[in-house]
Amino acid sequence: MIWLTWRQHRKQAFYTLLGFVVLAAVLVPIGLSMRSTFADLGLAECIRPVALSEAAVQTCDAGFRRFSDQYDSLNLVAVLLITLPVLVGLFWGAPLVAREVEQGTHRFVWTQGVGRTRWALVKFGLVGTAAVLLAACYGLGMSWWVEPLTQAAHEGRLGMIVFDLQGVVPIGYTLFAVALGVSAGTVWKRMLPAMGITLAGFIGVRAAVEILARPHYQPARTQTFPIEGDGIPELSRGDWVLSMGIRNADGTMVAENARIQCPPGGKGPDGRACGSELGLDPGAYNWQLYQPADRFWLFQWIETGIFVALAALLLYFAIRRVRRIA
Amino acid sequence: MDMVLEADRLGKRYGSTWALRDCSLHLPAGRIAALVGPNGAGKSTLLHLAVGLLKPDAGAVRVFGRSPYGDTEGLADIGFVAQDTPLYRDFTAAELVIAGGKLNKRWDGALARTRLAQLGIPPDRPVGKLSGGQRAQVALALALAKQPRLLLLDEPVASLDPLARREFLQSLMGSVAESGTTVLLSSHLLADLERVCDYLIVLNASQVQLTGAVDDLVAEHRQLVGPRHDGGAIGGVAAVVRASHTDRQSTLLVRTDGPVTDPAWTVREVSLEDVVLAYLADGTTQTKHSEWGVPA
Repeated sequence: MIWLTWRQHRKQAFYTLLGFVVLAAVLVPIGLSMRSTFADLGLAECIRPVALSEAAVQTCDAGFRRFSDQYDSLNLVAVLLITLPVLVGLFWGAPLVAREVEQGTHRFVWTQGVGRTRWALVKFGLVGTAAVLLAACYGLGMSWWVEPLTQAAHEGRLGMIVFDLQGVVPIGYTLFAVALGVSAGTVWKRMLPAMGITLAGFIGVRAAVEILARPHYQPARTQTFPIEGDGIPELSRGDWVLSMGIRNADGTMVAENARIQCPPGGKGPDGRACGSELGLDPGAYNWQLYQPADRFWLFQWIETGIFVALAALLLYFAIRRVRRIA
Repeated sequence: MDMVLEADRLGKRYGSTWALRDCSLHLPAGRIAALVGPNGAGKSTLLHLAVGLLKPDAGAVRVFGRSPYGDTEGLADIGFVAQDTPLYRDFTAAELVIAGGKLNKRWDGALARTRLAQLGIPPDRPVGKLSGGQRAQVALALALAKQPRLLLLDEPVASLDPLARREFLQSLMGSVAESGTTVLLSSHLLADLERVCDYLIVLNASQVQLTGAVDDLVAEHRQLVGPRHDGGAIGGVAAVVRASHTDRQSTLLVRTDGPVTDPAWTVREVSLEDVVLAYLADGTTQTKHSEWGVPA
């Protein structure tokens, strides 16, 4: 069985590795240049969790701006890179059963001396293992590559897209994509429909988890501060702000996605109290809801767990389906 | 008698349509049996049930006394060549023989290699690049290398040209003659199999129409020609299979249970093909006229 699996998929494996090498050849030099720029601009000092002097903050902001100007376009590349797990699902997962059935070879291989449950277990197991290895390398590589970009960006590692690229979540996504492809193939039994369903399903589930579930893995923290004060209390770099706004003393939201700060006792140009032109009553405060940066690994494991569990369910379903295909 | 394949009121349904229904038959050991029926009669379904690819929806099928669905050990005794002889097209014939060895406990790789060498099949070309006849031979060699006690072949010659058909059947007969393997091979054309089979199963419209040893079937059927027949009993006739009438004369194909002595009838012997066609003609109009919107 192992020999057969290798013989059937060796070409695919070769092309996948080739793609990986090409990708590395492009990304590694970019990563190195990003890192050297990061160091040259002295940004490593800026991300330390120590209070900086006024002048240092100015230098850091200028440095971050220069870094962003130079490398902001790479965020687009990052968006492209998060599609890699679904490609594994499309080209490794979907054809696994669908191709056999489409070409009729399932009737050959399932009538030899190996039962089809064992066939399914070995094949899914080997392809799944290969996918996990691939995804682990990808996750490590991406963590390294995206680090300077993440540090330069305000929302940090918990931010959309960069969170999805690094750490252990790529393993969950890749395994899920493969499992989705395999089980789509056991239902539609033709490669193209199976691939289409895999693509649509993957995007749908990923988007749903990212938008609906991820912000609630842990109760978000709230932070409030008065609208009159000496300065906006700096959130620690890398906190993931879910929503913010200005609320009145009774808690009603007055202005979403806004914050104001007036000097103590400051008056507006027309002599009225700070923020009264927005409809703010005395006692109004700035409010924001956020996930602290140190929850990064917790969130990574939770998200990976969700996708690994989904993958396990799908593979179980696929094995059940395989027993009914003739 | 030793039964290799037994089906008892076997049925398989796809959605609400029965692909095979109330199918009861016995295949004795050592026979070369032809499974004949028009396209869509349920031949493939029956073979898939026999090799355990499908699970019966009604009744039961037993091969060597075992229910084949989900029975991996039983698979060792069954050689199966599916319709259109599906093989991994990018594998070479030699690699397929290796694959067979990895997938089966009992495997005679030397036998397969010898066969393929005798047939002049290149070992190092992908089987997708071989001719249809050569590919069928590779599939057959792989099935025989399992040293099966029952060989099931689904339309093995359908896609072959007449010369390749003859060669394929000849080489099949040559190799099963010595081993005593029971063979069940299907075709929608009796002519393909008439020369090689000694047992016949006729399937039509998802039901078994006729089953038995070829010699018996030919011996017990007769064609009667005589005056127009009104449906009354005729001495020695067990059943009228098919009747056609002109104004004055009737031609009947009948199953006999004794000699037909009535002098009004001219009795003629029939060929196997006549018998099969008579049974197939029964119930061929499956499509409902109403579905086409035309009067019946």
